[in-house]
Amino acid sequence: METQDLDLERSELELDAEPMFINVGPAHPAMHGTVRCQMELSGEVIERVDVQVGYLHRGFEKMCERGTWSQVYPYVDRCNYVSPMLNNVGFSLACEKMLGIEVTPRCAYYRIALGELARMSDHLTCDGAMAMELGAFTPFLWMIKGREMIWDIMEEETGARLTHSFGRVGGMASPPTDGFKETARTAVAEILAIVEESERLLFGNRIFLDRLQGIGKISAEDAISLGWTGPCLRASGVPYDVRKAHPYGRYDEFDFDVPVGSEGDCLDRFVVRIEEIKQSARIIEQALKKLPSSGPINVDDPRVVLPPKEQVYNTIEGTIRHFKVIMEGLKIPAGEVYSYTEGGNGELGFYLVSDGSGTPYRVRIRPPCFLVTSGLERVITGAMVSDVVPCFGSLNMIGGECDR
Amino acid sequence: MPTFKIDGREIPFEKGETVIQAAQRAGIDIPHYCWHPGLSVAANCRMCLVEVAPPPGRPALMLNVLSYDPDTGEYVDQQKPKLQPACQQVVAEGMDIRSESSKHVSRARAAVQEFLLLNHPVDCPICDQAGECRLQDYWLEHQHEAKRMHDEPVHKPKAQIFGPTIVYDAERCIVCTRCVRFCEEVAQDPVLSVRERGNVNEIVVSPGRQLDNPYTLMTEHVCPVGALTASDFRFKARVWFLRSARSVCQGCATGCNAYLDYDPRNQTIYRHRPRENAQVNRYWMCDDGMLDYQRAHENRLSDARLGSARSHRGDSPHPETPESVPVGAALDRAAELLRSADPAKVAVLLSAQHSLEDNFALLDLAQRAFWSSNSSGAGGARRESLGSSRVFATGRPAGEGDQILRHQDKNPNSAGVAALLAPARPQNFAALSAAIDAGAITHVLALGSDIDPGNVAGDSRVASLGRLQALVTLGTWEGPLSRAAHVLLPASSWAESDGQFMNAQGMVQESEQAVQPLGQSRPAWKLAAAIGVRLGLPIPWRTLEELRGAFAGRPLAAEPASKRSLQPGAVS
Repeated sequence: METQDLDLERSELELDAEPMFINVGPAHPAMHGTVRCQMELSGEVIERVDVQVGYLHRGFEKMCERGTWSQVYPYVDRCNYVSPMLNNVGFSLACEKMLGIEVTPRCAYYRIALGELARMSDHLTCDGAMAMELGAFTPFLWMIKGREMIWDIMEEETGARLTHSFGRVGGMASPPTDGFKETARTAVAEILAIVEESERLLFGNRIFLDRLQGIGKISAEDAISLGWTGPCLRASGVPYDVRKAHPYGRYDEFDFDVPVGSEGDCLDRFVVRIEEIKQSARIIEQALKKLPSSGPINVDDPRVVLPPKEQVYNTIEGTIRHFKVIMEGLKIPAGEVYSYTEGGNGELGFYLVSDGSGTPYRVRIRPPCFLVTSGLERVITGAMVSDVVPCFGSLNMIGGECDR
Repeated sequence: MPTFKIDGREIPFEKGETVIQAAQRAGIDIPHYCWHPGLSVAANCRMCLVEVAPPPGRPALMLNVLSYDPDTGEYVDQQKPKLQPACQQVVAEGMDIRSESSKHVSRARAAVQEFLLLNHPVDCPICDQAGECRLQDYWLEHQHEAKRMHDEPVHKPKAQIFGPTIVYDAERCIVCTRCVRFCEEVAQDPVLSVRERGNVNEIVVSPGRQLDNPYTLMTEHVCPVGALTASDFRFKARVWFLRSARSVCQGCATGCNAYLDYDPRNQTIYRHRPRENAQVNRYWMCDDGMLDYQRAHENRLSDARLGSARSHRGDSPHPETPESVPVGAALDRAAELLRSADPAKVAVLLSAQHSLEDNFALLDLAQRAFWSSNSSGAGGARRESLGSSRVFATGRPAGEGDQILRHQDKNPNSAGVAALLAPARPQNFAALSAAIDAGAITHVLALGSDIDPGNVAGDSRVASLGRLQALVTLGTWEGPLSRAAHVLLPASSWAESDGQFMNAQGMVQESEQAVQPLGQSRPAWKLAAAIGVRLGLPIPWRTLEELRGAFAGRPLAAEPASKRSLQPGAVS
């Protein structure tokens, strides 16, 4: 430092050409405790950067191989913990694909409604936090207020705000509550109002726009080659959405658009998420219309689904059925499957191998965030130090999904 | 070999075999309750019904039945083939059997299953059989529907004491009569029978008797449901938490093949159950053997101990209050005592309770330490002739035997010890005692815990141990040898180490490790190696493979029978 000061005095403001190394994370709050950026700076420009994920290792996949198939749900909850319902649904669909069963219509629409609510909460969190990190605290509070409404619904439906463990192979843990449709409709309307207000606050804000526009650009080719999916890929102009490209559940019956960006910069990623919140609202409205008010939520398959408690306590058949499913675990036929859904941040894939016993032989997850985060290096190389925060925020890195 | 077909698959069979036997050999599972490969055919459970296609050109044997049509709500006349029990149907060349592929068979199985569960109590949560119960397995496989009867089920006696080891629950019983047939045919004590008929029938013990023959626990083992439970295992563990190690029973010289079921979480063994081996124990074990697993936990030595070696020379058979020390310190002390000994006055006491590995290790150690140093040539024969006069062997005293499984010799490896020493004969404990009394032996390196005093009262024999200058014992259980030891090293039990045992038939069988060694204990052969290292000897075997390689040249080292003749798979 001292030499620099001396230089300043002697020469004509020539900055020191020595590179400066700076380390951010993993303990830095902006790095979520799980990512580390080692940057080499020339002045304020990032010359080189090494992004290291892997500061979170829970052994997620290995843990899944210890219990029964149903006991995997609490683990998938903790992958993307901002939209755990989407993970629950994704894992259920993978198991059901192996078993060759299709859930009841009531369950299918319920899953879509809950899943889209979870997607809204995911995007609200991401966009809100992004704005906050750039100093706009009010939109963050508003959007988190919107997320809070979703989590209240989740709590009412599942009993838990965050880690629901609500999915089941062949159905859901319980049918929708009586007031589900009404509360969901009210909440969605309020959230849309919040999103609109936030848009008005942010899109007229010069500082906000300057810090996002043209920053962290990535081309469609690069994004594809990095394995990006989800909003980050769509922001680069690639209209790939698993719900449209390879419809699962009953998404083919729904009318919604896939918003895409043109520049692939941070602003596009922000706006795509805002637009997807609106599309999710459309899907939820349609799902609530289609959701039957009565009928079974679980398939009628004793190999897979638990019997009603009344039968368990009073009949030997019910007891046996409960016993087999709980103690030995539901048996998934030997084989393997890759099943993929549109998670909050892109294609959430499960590659499952079963040996026919009640315990998963192998659970391999393809978490969208892991691949998106791996592109951070590409995005911020050549950018300014101050761009790291919006770039990192716009990728929506979720620590739980980067578990390796 | 002639063949026949099951579901279109060509299956070879031997003349006189039944469908179920041939199917089982081919790996096809036909559900059954009452059939057991080691018992006579009763054909009373009807679970194994299969469809036998008529011979070519002959009409099928059809039955007229009324069947309910749920659409019209009426009964309609229908025909169905007469099904045959696979356990009783003898196979003939070219026979065409339909099992899984016949809808009549699956309907029959579902019906039988529904019928068997008609009066079954809701007991799974408190039933020890849950998790390995045929009723549970077959319900999911063959019925998976609720029963149609909603009346109060028939109530029968519960928790009846059949004898010292068995408790009977008549409500859970499906009266397959496996236990009845076992008592009559295998245990040769027809103490059980069936009383009454229909849905009030139950198993009873003969008046004036108890179920107290030496094979009572096998009735529980053959029971396909939770009707018979063992008092020893009742409410102790849940079977899905247990893991099994393939072990060899330590109860007698028969060497029955067994599974040692243990809970890996608390490293506790909960039961012993037979493992099929046609050449040794077929499907069975005796009560003593099945309860023998308890010795893995009872009366065990977990710490090394030092007795005060100098203070009691001569008179007292017991050292003064022994103190627990780290194994390393005890090994140091053992080496110190043995180093100071006159090699001509050191004896080795082998144990028929221990594996071939343990016995060989001790013998090899003694030969290297005491009997080969002053010999000119180190040839095997020379070493043996040197050592054999000071090698003794003992074990547990003989007990009751019978013609079924139980052997009078209550040690699992007597034949193995004899084979290790062949052609010399091991001398018994009485000979060692006499040699000690005569002053010919002053130091003893002993394996094992119990001694067989022969036909003389044990006390005088034990007393002679007290006259030793040093007794180094590698023991697993508390016993005369551990109590008299100057240095006691804790050896792990058969349940805690891999080992080979030679049974009375001369078959070498391998027993697997189930749980971790208790406390400080470790396999006796490792302790022997550690003593050897402290004595400055070149011990060439430090791993189990090296050790087995070291005695591989001996006549006993045939291919382990357990590996050759045992197929994985539970007893049906």
